[in-house]
Amino acid sequence: MRDILLVRFGEVHLKGLNRPQFLRALTERVRHAARPFGGHVWLDDGRIYISDMDDARACAERVSQVFGIHSVSQAVEMGKDDFEAVLRQAVHMTRGMTGSFKVKARRADKRYPLDSPAICQLAGRRILEANQDLRVDVKHPEHVLEIEIRGNATLHIGRIEGVGGMPMGTNGKACLLLSGGIDSPVAGYMVARRGVTLMAVHFHSFPYTSERARAKVIELARILSRTCGRIELYIAPFTDIQMRVHEKCPGAYGTLIMRRQMMRVAERVARRRGGQAMVTGESIGQVASQTMEALGCTDDACGLSIFRPLIGFDKSEIIARAEAIGTFATSSLPYEDCCTVFMPRHPVTHPRLERVQEAELLLGDALEGLIEASAQGAERVVLCDGRIAEGGEQPQ
Amino acid sequence: MRYLDNSATTQPCAAAVLAAHEMLTEGWLNPSAPYAGAVAVEKRVAASREAVARGLGVGAGEVFFTGSGTEADSLALLGSAERLHGPGRVLLFAGEHPAVLGAVDQLKAMGHQVRTVGATQDGLIDLPALSRMLHDGADLVSCMHVNNETGAVQPLAEVSGLIQKICPDALLHVDGVQGFLHVPLDLAATKVDLYAVSGHKVHGPKGVGALYVRSGVRLAPRVAGGGQEGGLRSGTENTAGIAAFAAAVSWAAAQEDAAARLRAMKLRLYERLQEGVRGLRVNGPAPDGSSAAPHILNVSFPGVKGEVMLHALEKEGVLVGTGAACSSKKRGMSAAFEAIAAPKWAADSAVRFSFGLMNSWEDADAAAEAALRCFARYRAFQRR
Repeated sequence: MRDILLVRFGEVHLKGLNRPQFLRALTERVRHAARPFGGHVWLDDGRIYISDMDDARACAERVSQVFGIHSVSQAVEMGKDDFEAVLRQAVHMTRGMTGSFKVKARRADKRYPLDSPAICQLAGRRILEANQDLRVDVKHPEHVLEIEIRGNATLHIGRIEGVGGMPMGTNGKACLLLSGGIDSPVAGYMVARRGVTLMAVHFHSFPYTSERARAKVIELARILSRTCGRIELYIAPFTDIQMRVHEKCPGAYGTLIMRRQMMRVAERVARRRGGQAMVTGESIGQVASQTMEALGCTDDACGLSIFRPLIGFDKSEIIARAEAIGTFATSSLPYEDCCTVFMPRHPVTHPRLERVQEAELLLGDALEGLIEASAQGAERVVLCDGRIAEGGEQPQ
Repeated sequence: MRYLDNSATTQPCAAAVLAAHEMLTEGWLNPSAPYAGAVAVEKRVAASREAVARGLGVGAGEVFFTGSGTEADSLALLGSAERLHGPGRVLLFAGEHPAVLGAVDQLKAMGHQVRTVGATQDGLIDLPALSRMLHDGADLVSCMHVNNETGAVQPLAEVSGLIQKICPDALLHVDGVQGFLHVPLDLAATKVDLYAVSGHKVHGPKGVGALYVRSGVRLAPRVAGGGQEGGLRSGTENTAGIAAFAAAVSWAAAQEDAAARLRAMKLRLYERLQEGVRGLRVNGPAPDGSSAAPHILNVSFPGVKGEVMLHALEKEGVLVGTGAACSSKKRGMSAAFEAIAAPKWAADSAVRFSFGLMNSWEDADAAAEAALRCFARYRAFQRR
């Protein structure tokens, strides 16, 4: 008899011919997550199993955060031949419980002498005899004891919900615009959960933003990398572009034109590193640069698809998700006031693209050089599994 | 690097580093232990207490070591309030450091009545207002020596005089962290009851402070236990910190004409900034006046945010402050700026230059040049 974890996955089942490849990727990620606990991981008959971990609860929690995992249960695995022992174990696991319960049995081994209804009946009766505080409710039970008969018998109660999604690294690479605010880490997480590898670009405007702001963004990327895997973060110097926009362009268009240049720099960095799409934390109407017209003007400056997973979310929903993925506290640190220098008091909220393009022409031929300098000058920091990768913090 | 943020912390002097090293390598026995080696350490702590007492101009029996200036403030305010029978009446200067404000918030929560005495535009305590409030009765008055942001030297003789005249039983607590060794103060003659100082503001180490408690003043301890520091602050003595603090105090006190030199460097910087920056605003008293501390100059560069100036200067190798180092991470206006009713632009654009005993004339000149360059570069980029 031993403790094991029973790991279920979701959407991977849908993938036709790609299925083996998805399963391999998923098993590899689970193995990676279980490694700190010393767990042995194997794939068998549509499930992933883990045994020999030293802290079952912590290992289950960690594995439930792996993208593609539907749920995890702590289970007991034992020989199936001595059914009396299985019943004793069922009684043991329900000891001290109160309220309603049911037993759910699954007999994958069709040669087993008892069928599923018989297993349910026998186990249910034995549990009721031993525990007067339990009653049976097969429709809406508070507790469900599941008994499975395969090569061995496994018993478990309850499950930890997984985060769902798709196995990491199975859906290409996208470039997140990581600002240091609350929204962008959440947007990055949501896209990464679909199996997308993340890279990120942050714009640094020294002396308008400080070393602390830079450290904050690295910290956010580090937190994301705990669940999203390896993240290459590029910190692009942006002060010269900002100052030129401020100098040359009408104030009301300032933020919009600045965002278009951010897209251009980020697209360049992304394409050079294999990024296939951009990800932003924008949501309709949240600020002036996120009205539908303004988003359109931003799209116009970028040749890659822009994913905006938060587009229909309210701020409170975004905050709840930021709290859940552990980025909220860091995002709330107040280190970037200074950029308000470049924020117009009265930004246009319903910009017309032609007007923005005209205003942008005022930046002149120097623009191309500034964009290239920003993309080239980006500092590269690699975050992996919650750590700054060795030798990762260096110029590109 | 030109370090002009000495009000945030100072570089430990060589004597302090040596003393700490000595205590950590040789004098590391517990001073309360009975063997001979420990007695030597105990003696060293006693000698250190005498050295700090000499710096303060008081008796060694009136000096108690703490873990920081903040802790000394806390011990003074909470420890004296606890000795009162029932809710006390506390008068608080509006421009106090967060160390004092935090302790006073705790006093409020304990049911003591707290009233705030405002400041003049120079950042000095409003004496007529203090006088009026004293007439309503007071048990404890807290007024700092030198404001950490504006450098305003508070008229403690007058404050004490009013207390003696109107409320002779009230205790006077002074946060001396920024004034100690920079601005002379005769604690006995001025009838200050409690005076808090910190090691790392006078070229000593962090993690050690001291509280002067005038003999006869009774405090309740905040940390009870083994009875160290006369029972006022239990915990095995930070012997390395204490010895280094004392070495720094002796070293600083031996610097000849230190205050005059600091003042001259500050004024040189101020004059150069004033020549080069139209509309430069001084936050606090006139820099050449007698109520300005010799080492602190707080000015606002019109049109450039303090944080931008700070980071631009950082890039030029000059380190300055934008206010109290502990508050530059927070939003909103500090107590000191609210107290002098500074306009919002001035608070947003404030930069604090603070000199220490290790600064040179070159530092003052380099800082002035760098500040003028940064101002010229960034003034053009104002919010429209």
